[in-house]
Amino acid sequence: MRKIKPLLVMAFLFSGKLLLAQTIITGKVTDSKTGDALQNASIVVKGSSNGTSTDNNGTFRLSVQENAVLVVSSLGYVAKEVTVTGNLVNVALASSGTKNLDEIVVVGYGTKIKKDLTGNIAKVKGSDVQNMPVTNFNQALQGRAAGVFVEANNGKVGEGVKILIRGSGSISASNSPLYVIDGVPISTNTGSGNALADINFNDVESFDILKDASAAAIYGSRAANGVVLITTKKGRSGKTNFQVNTQYGRNKPTHLRGFLDASEYVSLLREAATNSDNIDGIDPTDPAQYSGSWLEFAERRLTRYSGWSDWRKLETNTNWEKLAFNDDASTASIDFSASGGNDRTKFYTSFAYAKQDGILIGNNFKRFSGRVNLEQMVSDRFKLGVNLSLTQSVAGRVPVDNEFTTPMQIVALSPITPLRNLDGQVYNSPTTTYSNPYVDFTDGKFKSITFRNIGNVFGQYNFTPSLFFRSEFGIDIQNQNDDQFYGFRTAYGNGSNGYGESDWFRGTDFNINNYFTYKKKYNAKHDVEAVAGMSYQKYNSEYANVYGEQFPVETLRKLASAGLIKGGTSRESNSAFLSYFARANYKLNNRYLFSLSGRVDGSSVFGSETRYGFFPAVSAGWVLSEENFLSGSKLLSFLKLRGSWGLTGNADGFGDFAHLGLWGGSSYNATGGLVSTQIANPDLKWEKSNQIDIGIDFGFLNNRISGEIDYYRRKTEDLIYNVPVPSTTGFTNKTVNIGAMENKGIEIVLNTDNVISKTFKWSSNINLSFNKNKILKLDGDQTIIPGNDGRYLNSLIVGESIGVFYGPRYAGVDPANGDALFFEQDGKTTTNSYNDAGNFIVGNPNPKMIAGFGNTLNYKGIEFSFLFQGVFGNQVQNGGGGFMTAGFDWFDNQTRDQLNRWQKPGDVTDVPQLRLGGYGADGISASSRYVYDADYIRLKNITLAYNIPSSILKRVKLSSAKFYVTAVNLLTITDYPGWDPEVNTDYRAGNRNQGSDFYAAPQIKNISFGLNLGF
Amino acid sequence: MLFFASWSKKLDIDPTQSVNEDAVFTSDANIKAALNGAYDVVSSGELAGGDLQLYSELLGADGEISWVGTFNQPDEIFNKSIITTNSFVRDTWSEAYRAINICNSIIANIAVANADDQDMIKGEALFLRGYMYFELVKLFAKPYSAGNVTSNLGVQIITTPTVNGQVASVHKVPRSTIEQTYQQVISDLTTAKSLMSDDYGVYAGKYAAAGILSRVYLQMGDYAKARDEANDVIENSGASLEAPYSKAFNNTAPSAEDILVLPITAQDGVNDFHTYWSIADYGARDGDVEINQQHLDLYDPADSRLALFFDYGGGYFYSGKWLLQYKYIPLLRLSEMYLTRAEANFRLGTTTGADPLDDVNTVHERAGLSALAAVTIDDILYERHQELAHEGQRIHDMKRLHQSADGFEFDANELVFPIPQREVDAVGPTILLQNPGY
Repeated sequence: MRKIKPLLVMAFLFSGKLLLAQTIITGKVTDSKTGDALQNASIVVKGSSNGTSTDNNGTFRLSVQENAVLVVSSLGYVAKEVTVTGNLVNVALASSGTKNLDEIVVVGYGTKIKKDLTGNIAKVKGSDVQNMPVTNFNQALQGRAAGVFVEANNGKVGEGVKILIRGSGSISASNSPLYVIDGVPISTNTGSGNALADINFNDVESFDILKDASAAAIYGSRAANGVVLITTKKGRSGKTNFQVNTQYGRNKPTHLRGFLDASEYVSLLREAATNSDNIDGIDPTDPAQYSGSWLEFAERRLTRYSGWSDWRKLETNTNWEKLAFNDDASTASIDFSASGGNDRTKFYTSFAYAKQDGILIGNNFKRFSGRVNLEQMVSDRFKLGVNLSLTQSVAGRVPVDNEFTTPMQIVALSPITPLRNLDGQVYNSPTTTYSNPYVDFTDGKFKSITFRNIGNVFGQYNFTPSLFFRSEFGIDIQNQNDDQFYGFRTAYGNGSNGYGESDWFRGTDFNINNYFTYKKKYNAKHDVEAVAGMSYQKYNSEYANVYGEQFPVETLRKLASAGLIKGGTSRESNSAFLSYFARANYKLNNRYLFSLSGRVDGSSVFGSETRYGFFPAVSAGWVLSEENFLSGSKLLSFLKLRGSWGLTGNADGFGDFAHLGLWGGSSYNATGGLVSTQIANPDLKWEKSNQIDIGIDFGFLNNRISGEIDYYRRKTEDLIYNVPVPSTTGFTNKTVNIGAMENKGIEIVLNTDNVISKTFKWSSNINLSFNKNKILKLDGDQTIIPGNDGRYLNSLIVGESIGVFYGPRYAGVDPANGDALFFEQDGKTTTNSYNDAGNFIVGNPNPKMIAGFGNTLNYKGIEFSFLFQGVFGNQVQNGGGGFMTAGFDWFDNQTRDQLNRWQKPGDVTDVPQLRLGGYGADGISASSRYVYDADYIRLKNITLAYNIPSSILKRVKLSSAKFYVTAVNLLTITDYPGWDPEVNTDYRAGNRNQGSDFYAAPQIKNISFGLNLGF
Repeated sequence: MLFFASWSKKLDIDPTQSVNEDAVFTSDANIKAALNGAYDVVSSGELAGGDLQLYSELLGADGEISWVGTFNQPDEIFNKSIITTNSFVRDTWSEAYRAINICNSIIANIAVANADDQDMIKGEALFLRGYMYFELVKLFAKPYSAGNVTSNLGVQIITTPTVNGQVASVHKVPRSTIEQTYQQVISDLTTAKSLMSDDYGVYAGKYAAAGILSRVYLQMGDYAKARDEANDVIENSGASLEAPYSKAFNNTAPSAEDILVLPITAQDGVNDFHTYWSIADYGARDGDVEINQQHLDLYDPADSRLALFFDYGGGYFYSGKWLLQYKYIPLLRLSEMYLTRAEANFRLGTTTGADPLDDVNTVHERAGLSALAAVTIDDILYERHQELAHEGQRIHDMKRLHQSADGFEFDANELVFPIPQREVDAVGPTILLQNPGY
C-alpha cells in the first residue's frame, strides 16, 4: 500500500489539472520606461512548462488556470511575477541595463549568453541590415563589425566581395571565412558570379562572426579565417504574424572620373605624334617630311576613328564613359513572410523577390527565394525540424575587367568617334579604336541562372533535462546554367557568324553533424557545459560546357542552331572532411569562466601521411563586476577580462590534389595526349594559425555606455604557397608550406545610449580596427618573391605586409627633356631607363585601420539612422594607368591629368612628355607613378523612416507600418583619383593581388523608398 | 576503431581529370600519349603556335611591319625595349622547358614502349627537345654569328626528367655556352634524324629533323652541312611545291610542300599567327601587326606573294598568310630548303643537288614571275626575304647576315631577350646570369 500511494497522488494531480477551470488571457508586454512593445518576451505559468512568447507587437495569448502566477521575462529586463486577474494582463518590465550582455550569441554547435563568452564574437542582427538594397549580405555587413573588412571588387552586381576577418591569414590558401547557415557549412564555389548572392538576408535573424581562435576552433580546420554563423528566423508560438516589405530605388555610379573631350583628344594626340617625330629628327609640319611621319600615321587614324564626321571640325564629341553605364538602373523588391506556431509547432516561411540593375550596361541581378523553417516537438523529449530554402538567381553578367568587351573598357575609345553610323548602326572596329563593348551589349547576352537549395533536417533527443543528442543532415546544392550568345558584329562573334556557349555547374555539399550536449548547474555555483561529436562533409562539383559558332541568323541563339560545335568539356572536383570535436565550458560563481575545446580534422586534400590535424583551444574569463569589491559601483556596471589561445587550420583554396604530381589530358592533331600539369609535393601539410586574444568587456552607467577592447595576434605557420620554381623543372610553381605570417591588431567597440526617453532615443556605436599584417618567413633562401609583371607590383617580402607594391619609384619628369624618371637603387640618382630603376616598397594595399560609426535616432515614430564606414592607410595601384594615363603611348583616350604634360624645357610637372608609339622613357611601366592613396570615408547607409502610430493602424487592421527612404553609398570622401577607392579588379583578385584597379566599375550609389507592413 | 577506420576511408579521393605521375610511364599507350602531349605543348601559342615567330618578325621589323596592338609585351619587343618582367617572354621560356621536361620524361622511360616503336618515339622526343633548345638559344642568347661562342652564354641544359617533386641542383644550373647549347641541339636533332621514319607532316620525321638542322647550320655559318641537310629534304622527302603560292597557306590539311606543319581545326590547336596578324572581321584581334608600304615595295607588282596581302580599308595592309583561324600552320616549307641550298651552294661555289640559279628560279617562278637569268648572293637573300616573309625567320636571318634591325646592330643587346626575372629569382642571380644590357 505504501508504494501505491504516491502513484495515486500523481494520478490525482494530473487529472486534477484537467479539471481545474481554464481561462484564455491576452496581454501586452512593454518597456516600463519607453512604453515600447517587447517582442519575444517569455510568459510562463510559474511551476509549469505552460507558456508562450510575445509577437512582434508585444502581445500574447495563453490558456491558464484561474489565479495562475505568470513569470514574465525578456532579454535585458528584470523578470516579473504577475498573478492573473481577469482576462487582460498587461505587464511593464523594467530594464536591467544588461540587454547587450544577456544577448544570445550563436557559437559552433550551440549558443551562449554574451556575458559568458570567453572568445570574441561580433554579432550583427538581421534587423539591422534588413532593408539594405544590396545583393550580397557581406556588403550589408560592411562597417558594422570590428575586425571585419569587406571590399567589393567593383560595382558589378552579384559578383565578388572580399571579406577578411582580422587580416589576411594566408598567401595561397583561402582567406575567406567559413559560412555556416543553421549549422550547415555552405559552399562559396560557383560556376560564375558570387555564391553568397543567392542568400536572401531578409530571412536572417543574426550573423555571428567568430573572430578569435577559441570561438572558431570548434570548426577546426575550417576556421583559420574566422566563421560567419548565419541563423535564419524561426517561428514563435502565438498569433501568426504576417509581414510584407517592398522597396523601389535607383542606382548610379558613385563617381565618374572623366576623360579628354574631342578637342583635347585631337590636340594632345597630334602633339604626341609630333613629339615622337621630333625624337626621330623629323619635322612633320614640313610637308616634305610629313609622309611616313608619326603625325601622318596619327592623322590617318583620326580620320579612321571619326567615321562619318570630320575630326578637323570636331563634329563629334562622344562621352564614352557615360555610355558604359545604364542610366535607367533601378532596384525593386518585395518579400512576404509569415511566422507563428504553438507550444508544439513553430514555423517561419517566406517568399521574396529582389531585383537590382547594375550600373553597368548588361549587368543585372534578380533573386526569387523561398524558405520554410519548421520545428515540431514530437514528444516531450524528441524535437524534429527542418530549415529549407530555395533560391533562383538570374544574373546578367558582363566580362571581367581585363576583357575588351567589358563595358568599362569603352572609356578607351576616342571621343571623336560617333556612337552610330549614318544608318543608325553602332560603330565597331576599325572605326572605333578597339572592339566596341557597346556592340557586345546590344548584340550579346550572358544570362546566368542558379538554383540554390540550402537546408537541413535535424532531430534532437533529450535523454535528461541536462543531456541531449542532436543529429543534423545538411545540404547545399547549387545548379547553375550560364547561357551566352554574341552576335555577328561582336568581338567574340565577329568572323565566325556568332558565338554561343552553354555552361553548366553543379555543386553539392553534404554535411552530417552528430553531437551530444551536456549542460548542468551544480550547487548554484558550478555551471558545466560539454559538447562532443563528429562531423563529415563531402563536396562534389561538376562542370560541363559546350560552345559553337556559325549561327544562321542572329535571332537563333541556342546551340541547336550553331553550324559548328567548336568544343566542350566536362570535369569534376571532389573533397571531403572528417572531424571529431569536443568542448567543455565551466563557470564558477557566475564570474570565473573557462573553456577548452579540441577538434581533429582529416582532409582529403592532403596525402595519407599528413591528412589529420589537431586543433585545440583554451580560454578563460573573469567577470570582475560580479566580485564584491566592484558589485556596488554605480559607475561601473560590468567588467570582464578574457583571454584565449587556439590553433586553427586551413585546407581550402589550393586545389583538391596539390600534393600529387599530375599529368592531365591534352589534344594534338585531334588525338589525346598526356601532359605534365603539376609538380608533386608529398610533404604538403596543413596551414596552421595560432591566435591569442586578450579582451576587456565593459559597461558604465547601467550599461548605457558599453564596449569591448581586444588585442589579438594571429600567426599563420606552414603557409601554403605556390612558390616559383625554376622553369627547368618543367613547372613554374610548386605548392609548398613555405613560411609564416602574422596579423596583430586592436579592435575597439563602443556602444552608447545617448538619450533614452519615452519620446526620443538616440544610440551610437563606433568600431575601430587596427590590423598589421606581416610576412615573417618565406621559403628558406627567398626573402622576396617579387610580383612585378610590368603592370602590377603586388609582392611578397619578409617583414612586410602581404601584397605590398614593390617596384620602381617614380621620380617625376626631367624638366630638360620631358622623360619620365625613376630612382635607381641608391634612392637618389635618377634614370630614364626602367630596367635600371631600383626596386622599393612603394605602397601597401592592406588598410591600417577600418572603422564604422553608426547612429540611430527615434522620435515619436520617426527613425533616423546613418552609418559611416571608412578604410584608412592603404594604397591602390591603377594597372590600367599604362593605357589611360600614358601620355598617348597609343590611341586610348587619356585621363584629364595628362593635360598637365611636360611641353617645353623648364616645365616642372609629373606628367611626362606625350609620345605616341612607345617611345621609351614615357614611364608607363608599373611603378609608384600609378600607386595612389585610397583612404576613404563613406556614408554607407542613411535611412529616414516613419512608423505610423498604432492608433491609426488598428482601424485598418494592421499591426505595424513603416515608410522609409534609404540610401547606400550616398557620399564618398577620398583623394583617390580613379573611379572608386573600394576596388580590387576582379580578373586577378586574390590574397596577394590586392588593391589593383583595372577598368573596374565604381561602386553603386542607391536611393530607395520602401514600405514595411505587419498584420 | 572500426568505426573510425571506415569513416577515415572516405578521405581517400583520387583525381578524376588527372593521373598520378607514377601511373604515366607504365605502358606503351601511355608513353605514346605523352609524346602526343609533348607536341601539344610545342604547338602552344607561346611557342610554335605563333609567338616564337611573332618575336622574330617584331625584332626584325625594320620599318616593314608595325605592332599596333594594345598588348604592351609584344610592343616592347617591337620597340626593342623589353623589360625583364615581360610576361610573353616569361611564358615562352617556361613553356619551352615544360616541353623539354616532357621529352626528358619520355626519353628516360623509353623502355616501356613497344620495342618496335622505341626508335621513333625517342627520335621524336629528341627532335622536339632539340627544336626547343634551338628556339631558346636564338632568342635568349647572342647570335652564333657574333662569335665568342665558347664564352657567350646560351641557355640552361637539362636532360633528365623531374620526378616526385624534386627541385634538384640540376634545375639550378648555370647557362651553358652558346657552343654547348648548339652542340646539344645538333646532338638531339642528328640522333633524332637517325631514329625517325621517313613520314612527315603534323608529326616530325627524318626530314623535319634535316630541315631544322639546315637552319641550325645556317645560323652557325656551316654552309656545307646546311646545304646537305636541305638537299636531303629536297631529294628524298618527296615533298613538292604547291602552286600558286597562296595554296601553301590557309589549308585544312598538310600541303604538298609542308615538311612540318601544325594541325589547327575548329576543335583543336591554337593559332596565334591568326590572333595577331589577322583582323577582327576574321575573328582575330584588331589587326595587331600591320604591313607597311616599305615591305610591300619589296615585291614585283606581278608577284603572287604580294597579292596575298590584303587591305582592311583605308590603306591598312595585313598578311594573308594567317588570314583564317582554323588553318594549318606551316613550320617548315620546302621552298625554304631550295633557298637554303641555293645560298649554301652559292657561297661554297658548289652545285650539290642543283645550280643556285635553278633553285632560286624554282621559288621565283612559283610566285608567278618569269625566270631570272642569273643570281647574286643578294638576289638569293632577297628571294628568301620575300618567300619566307612573316613566317618567323626574319631576325634570325638578319642576325646571321650581320644586318641591323631598326637601327640596332645585329649583335645588339636589345635584340636579345632578357632572361625572365622570375627565373633569375627562382634560380638565383649568381647562377642564372642575366643577359648584358638588362
